[in-house]
Amino acid sequence: MSRGTGAGYDRHITIFSPEGRLYQVEYAFKAVKAAGVTSIGVRGKDSVCVVTQKKVPDKLLDQTSVTHLFPITKYLGLLATGMTADARSLVSQARNEAAEFRFKWGYEMPVDVLSKWIADKAQVYTQHAYMRPLGVASMVLGIDEEKGPQLFKCDPAGHFFGHKATSAGLKEQEAINFLEKKMKNDPAFSYDETVQTAISALQSVLQEDFKATEIEVGVVTEKDPVFIVLSTEEIDEHLTAISERD
Amino acid sequence: MGDSQYSFSLTTFSPSGKLVQIEHALQAVGSGQTSLGIKAANGVVVATEKKLPSILVDETSVQKIQLMTPNIGVVYSGMGPDSRVLVRKSRKQAQQYFRLYKEPIPITQLVRETAAVMQEFTQSGGVRPFGVSLLIAGYDDNGPQLYQVDPSGSYFSWKASAMGKNVSNAKTFLEKRYTEDMELEDAIHTAILTLKEGFEGQISGKNIEIGIIGADRKFRVLSSSEIDDYLAEVE
Repeated sequence: MSRGTGAGYDRHITIFSPEGRLYQVEYAFKAVKAAGVTSIGVRGKDSVCVVTQKKVPDKLLDQTSVTHLFPITKYLGLLATGMTADARSLVSQARNEAAEFRFKWGYEMPVDVLSKWIADKAQVYTQHAYMRPLGVASMVLGIDEEKGPQLFKCDPAGHFFGHKATSAGLKEQEAINFLEKKMKNDPAFSYDETVQTAISALQSVLQEDFKATEIEVGVVTEKDPVFIVLSTEEIDEHLTAISERD
Repeated sequence: MGDSQYSFSLTTFSPSGKLVQIEHALQAVGSGQTSLGIKAANGVVVATEKKLPSILVDETSVQKIQLMTPNIGVVYSGMGPDSRVLVRKSRKQAQQYFRLYKEPIPITQLVRETAAVMQEFTQSGGVRPFGVSLLIAGYDDNGPQLYQVDPSGSYFSWKASAMGKNVSNAKTFLEKRYTEDMELEDAIHTAILTLKEGFEGQISGKNIEIGIIGADRKFRVLSSSEIDDYLAEVE
C-alpha cells in the first residue's frame, strides 16, 4: 500500500521509506556538501594530516575565529566538515567524553574509541525521531599507542572506518578518486610527503592554488603525538615546496 | 523506553493489517551485503561479504563479525550502525546474566533478549525499527546453534540461513549442499562456496569475513590469511 507510511512523513523524520531508505540521513549528507567546503585527510607512515578550505565570507569577520579544526584533547584532533553549529555541538560533547574517559580509565582515549563514540551518537539520531541527524562529517586523527598513526571518518549515518586517506564535503568524490590513484601502491609517506599530498590533493580537486591563509592544516606525528594546527608560515613552506616540485 | 515528545509509535498498522515500517526495514536488510550461517554437527560457521566503499579504507579497522560473549558470535546484514547498538545491548545483557548466575548465558536466552530489544523499537514511541537482521551463532550446553533475528523481533533456529542481497540464490545453494552430519571444516568450505556464488569481483581474504566456533566453545574470526588458505583449498 503506497499510503502505508502514514501521510508520508518518511522525508521529515528518520523512519523508513518504502525502499528501506532513511531520507533524513540522506539529506544530512547533502547538508555536509551544502557548506561548500572540501576537506582531505591523509595518513602517512608516522604522521596524519588533515586539510580544509578556510572560507571567510565577509572581510569584516575575525579570520582567527573561523575554524573547522578542533583539538579534542592534546593528542586528538577533529576536522568537522558541514554545518558549523552542529560541529561545535559535537566537538563540545566529544571533548567532555574524552576528558571523562581519561579520568575514568587513567589513559588517553584512543582514536578509534572516540570515533566509535561519535558514530554511535550519530546512529542514535538516525533511529530516534526527536533529534535530527547532524549535518557533519568528522575526521578524527591521532597517534595510537599500539597501531601508530590513525585517521577515522564518521558520517551522519553512523558509519565509521579507518582510512589511509579520505575526503569529505563538496568535492568528496573527485578527491577520493585523486587519492586512490596516489595511494594505490600503499606508499609510506614521510611527514612532508603526507602534508604535501593532502594539500596538493585539495588544490588539484578545486583547481586553484591556495594562499596560506585560505586553508587550514592540522597534523599529528609519532615524534610528537600532539595535535597541532600549522601556522600560516608553516603552511607557506609546504605550498612553496609543492610549487617547486611541480 | 520511548522519547517523551513522541509518546506515540511511529510504526502503526496499515488498513490491511501490516506494519509497514517493518516491511521497509526488511527492504533495508535486503539491500545489505550478503551474509550466511551454517550449523555443522560439531560447530557453527558464519560468513559475510566485506565490501568497503573505497580502497582507501583501512580494512583492518573494520570487523563486521562481532563477539557477544566468548562463545557467541553475531553477523548482520543491513545497516551497520544499527547492528552496533544491538551488539552493545546484548553484551551488557549477557554480562548481567553472568553476574547474577555465575554461568555463561545460554544462547536461546541471549537471542530472546536481543529479539525483545528489536521488538521494542517497533512499538515504542519516537523510534524506528532496526534496519538489520542478525545471525547469532554459538556453542553451549545444548550444542552448536544458529539463530536468525529479524527487524520485527521474530527469531528462528536454522540449520543454515542467508540474508542480504543474494538471499534467494544463497538459500537455494545451501538447501542443496546442506547435510545433517556436516563437519565444521565442510561447513566452512560450503560457506565460502555460497558466498562465491553471488560475489561480484575477485573474492579474497580481504573482502570476506568468516567466524567459527567449535566444540572448544571459543568463537573466533578467521584472519585474512587463514581465509586465503581456505579459498585455495576450494579452488
